[in-house]
Amino acid sequence: MRTRMALMYSLLWRLLLILVHVNRALFSWLHVRIQSWKGRLWERAATVLLLPISLVGFPDFQNNLNHGPDANVKPITEKSTGGGRSRCLSDGKSLKKIPVHIGLLVAEEEPSYPDIANVVVWCMAVGISYVSVYDNHGVFQKNNSRLLEEIKRQQQDLLGVDGSMHSVEFLSSGSDQHQHNVVSCRPTVRVLSPDDGKQSIVHVAQQLCRSVENKERSFKDINVSMLDLLLRESKNIPDPELVVKFGPVNSTLGFLPWHIRLTEFISLPSHRNISYEDLLGALQRYGACQQRLGQ
Amino acid sequence: MNEALYVFPGQRGRPSVLFQSRGGLVPCRSREPGLQLTVKSISGCKCNAISSKNGTLMWEPDAFPFVKAKTCTDMSWIKEGELSLLEKISANILKAGPMPKHVAFIMDGNRRFARKKNMERQEGHMQGFNKLAETLRWCKHLNIPEVTVYAFSIENFKRTEDEVDGLMELARQKFERLLEEHENLEKHGVCIRVLGDLNMLPLDLQQLIAKAVFTTRNHNKCFVNVCFAYTSRYEITNAVREMAWGVEQGLIKGSDVSEALLSECLYSNNSPNPDLLIRTSGEVRLSDFLLWQTSHSCLVFQSVLWPEYSFWNLCEAILQYQLNHKSIQKARDLHREHQALQQLEADRACVAELLQHHSNGKPVDSQRRQEALLHYTSCREERVRDFLKALKHKRDSFFSDLCSESLLA
Repeated sequence: MRTRMALMYSLLWRLLLILVHVNRALFSWLHVRIQSWKGRLWERAATVLLLPISLVGFPDFQNNLNHGPDANVKPITEKSTGGGRSRCLSDGKSLKKIPVHIGLLVAEEEPSYPDIANVVVWCMAVGISYVSVYDNHGVFQKNNSRLLEEIKRQQQDLLGVDGSMHSVEFLSSGSDQHQHNVVSCRPTVRVLSPDDGKQSIVHVAQQLCRSVENKERSFKDINVSMLDLLLRESKNIPDPELVVKFGPVNSTLGFLPWHIRLTEFISLPSHRNISYEDLLGALQRYGACQQRLGQ
Repeated sequence: MNEALYVFPGQRGRPSVLFQSRGGLVPCRSREPGLQLTVKSISGCKCNAISSKNGTLMWEPDAFPFVKAKTCTDMSWIKEGELSLLEKISANILKAGPMPKHVAFIMDGNRRFARKKNMERQEGHMQGFNKLAETLRWCKHLNIPEVTVYAFSIENFKRTEDEVDGLMELARQKFERLLEEHENLEKHGVCIRVLGDLNMLPLDLQQLIAKAVFTTRNHNKCFVNVCFAYTSRYEITNAVREMAWGVEQGLIKGSDVSEALLSECLYSNNSPNPDLLIRTSGEVRLSDFLLWQTSHSCLVFQSVLWPEYSFWNLCEAILQYQLNHKSIQKARDLHREHQALQQLEADRACVAELLQHHSNGKPVDSQRRQEALLHYTSCREERVRDFLKALKHKRDSFFSDLCSESLLA
């Protein structure tokens, strides 16, 4: 009797998962349709129809529906000229707040370099000065030259031939950091991997423990600001105010644990064929966030 | 039956009381400091309190016929009771899939809830605690043995003095209540742990906490970790400081420091990493909570306010966990492999250095190198074991010393 019950519950659970997957597929299909139709009426109708189902717990989709970008936003195509950049800048200025550092967390297998390069270029065009790209396999780190090439190419496409006015600093773990003690006023693109997270903290810990071993300091001297300072000495990564996560996995997957204490996390379903409106929507949602900082 | 539940300092020196009635929790405010109370109950009945004795308010049973208790009792940590049929069925369906063994909650939204219901802030926090007790009951029915909650952040010290004092007072009441029902805790096998920089708290609260932790330390059926005066950065820094202490004491070497060792030095070293982190009230950030431990956990952000959290919200979060389970497991395994590789590389580097010293520049054959590596690894592991034992002893003494202090006081 008990095993029959267990079997029944197991089947019901599988059914539940199937229902959820079907629901999700429906949503993403509808999401694409809504984007292409761009009718406010259609959006509202879809929200009303799907509200009962969406209450079951797909807040990301609801957010996208409610806070989605203006229907009047014209899509940016790859072949647009310099007018694209000024449009991006004005979009950036219209946002309530812009992050200084945005983290792009790719939680999907087989990343698509052109799409990520697109997002990077749009971020910089909107006025974000520090863009980091992360995946938990370290794929971007291994292929950072390819990423840089794609970014340069997308920059030219978006900004026209005169893309060089937006000279970008491209950093990855291999590059020499020590000359960058001065805060760079050029926009920076940084490629991150899991080693920049916990392992960096461990390195600082080793550094401190070795200095204690050599009697250069006592363990009592160690405090939060000291750790923070040492972490930023070798890799001066500012705390990201916003992390945009691409992909269905709901986890940070080891992204900079020390730096993300006050970071807002906004999820987008995928980075493949991502549009400028999707990114702008995420930035608008970030603009609406309120931080109370403990108070 | 109306039963007075909790008295706390309200605004402008007027004590406030919450009654448990069939309609839910009913607030009751006094008109003048300490003496008269007007019950805003459903039937609109009024009553007069008699006097204030040792901080407890007494009522005349005739004036307020349906008040059962004469003294106020605090709300319990443990809620008994079974799930409803529908809840039971849903729980069984969920349990057919992978279940999280450790869930962490950021219980956000108490103050917004209080504003929404036109209550005082303190009442919002009270409702929040009530919800915590209920959530522990649901977790017990869902076979989730470990729960960690974010009760008070070091950043919260920045709030107004009134609010901070109110929260400290609430904590005192809660831990006192915990000690009163220690038999019940033993029956359910609940082990309470408090994580944080406890020396930032007032001494009497530290002593209460120490007693609570000490008396429940051997229970092992379910675990409740309360993060109080906690931020993740302070926790990581403390772990580094402990390792440096170990180095200063000569227990470990600087080269023994690794990711695994740091994890063992955190306040949460007795618990596995959380499988699922839930934050309520719609905020989508971690606010310095378990940043190290949740690097490969499922994060679920829900817009419901914490005091309004329901069993179905919990089920929804667990469902999200189950949907993400495979991919997160893969990422965790990858990370573990990478960690093991890094440890091996570090050991190899140390051994190579040692061998160079001893062999005076002569080349060493690979078999000798392999033996040296195995020997070095086992020595390192032994050092680490002794260090962790010393650390555990240090931490246990911290609690037992506080306990004995409070007995003498």
